[in-house]
Amino acid sequence: MKTCKEFCDCLSDYLDGEMGEDQCRIIEDHLDRCPPCQLIYQSLATTVEICGKAIQPEIPDEVREKLRRFLREHCAGDKCEF
Amino acid sequence: MDADRENIEKILKGDYDAFEALVEKYQGRIYRHLRKMVKDNHLAQDLLQETFFSAYKGLPGFTGSSSFSTWLFRIATNTALMHLRKNRPDSIEYDDEIRNQTDTHLTLASPEFVNTPLEILLSNEGRKKIEKAIDELPALYRSVMVLRDVEGFSLEEVSRIMDSSVAAVKSRLHRARNSVREALMSYYMEKDLSPDRRRAS
Repeated sequence: MKTCKEFCDCLSDYLDGEMGEDQCRIIEDHLDRCPPCQLIYQSLATTVEICGKAIQPEIPDEVREKLRRFLREHCAGDKCEF
Repeated sequence: MDADRENIEKILKGDYDAFEALVEKYQGRIYRHLRKMVKDNHLAQDLLQETFFSAYKGLPGFTGSSSFSTWLFRIATNTALMHLRKNRPDSIEYDDEIRNQTDTHLTLASPEFVNTPLEILLSNEGRKKIEKAIDELPALYRSVMVLRDVEGFSLEEVSRIMDSSVAAVKSRLHRARNSVREALMSYYMEKDLSPDRRRAS
């Protein structure tokens, strides 16, 4: 890894813990010395963090009820034997 | 034996209540995944029914080589991708023009986004921006990002769900995360530079 772009191309894998120990050290040294790449790293980490929290697994009662009725109609009893 | 496996054994012996317990446990997450994949609530509702129906019929073939959740998400993903390939094939992959554009802008960075407090990033307005940025990704990229960063599956599990190599998953995830990051950064940069905000400061 030589250029900032090459470092930035590794940041997603770095966040996922997919880089070896030596590669991590090289990336961390670069991030310490390169404020623009540090900013990209921070913004990527923030993106991953907030995406994980932003979309809730909500399901409307109406959808839940329709699913329950559909499955009872098509699967329950002897309607769908294995 | 984990709770899912116990329920599966009961279902295979004819216990329908055990199936309803599995549906209750996973319906919210599967519905969220399908909504993000097809971006249409009514269609997601139909695909949700299809997913659980297929899962029920396919249970005897569940070998347990992966977790039940990985297996179920794979059925949901395949169901959604089959629909998209048939009806909206252009929505699945980047075309080359967008691919090149994303690469060019990879290094865009500004401090406004990272300095914005988490409660603002996750406010109603902030959440809408995040959803919109994810929705703008092609389906294969959107689903990889949702499976990894929203559902919390490992890269290996995402590769099984998507029936792709881990390398392909990493590549799509890298592109998807950067695309969403750039969209959010642009939004917070503009917001920070808006006349109202400047006047207020």
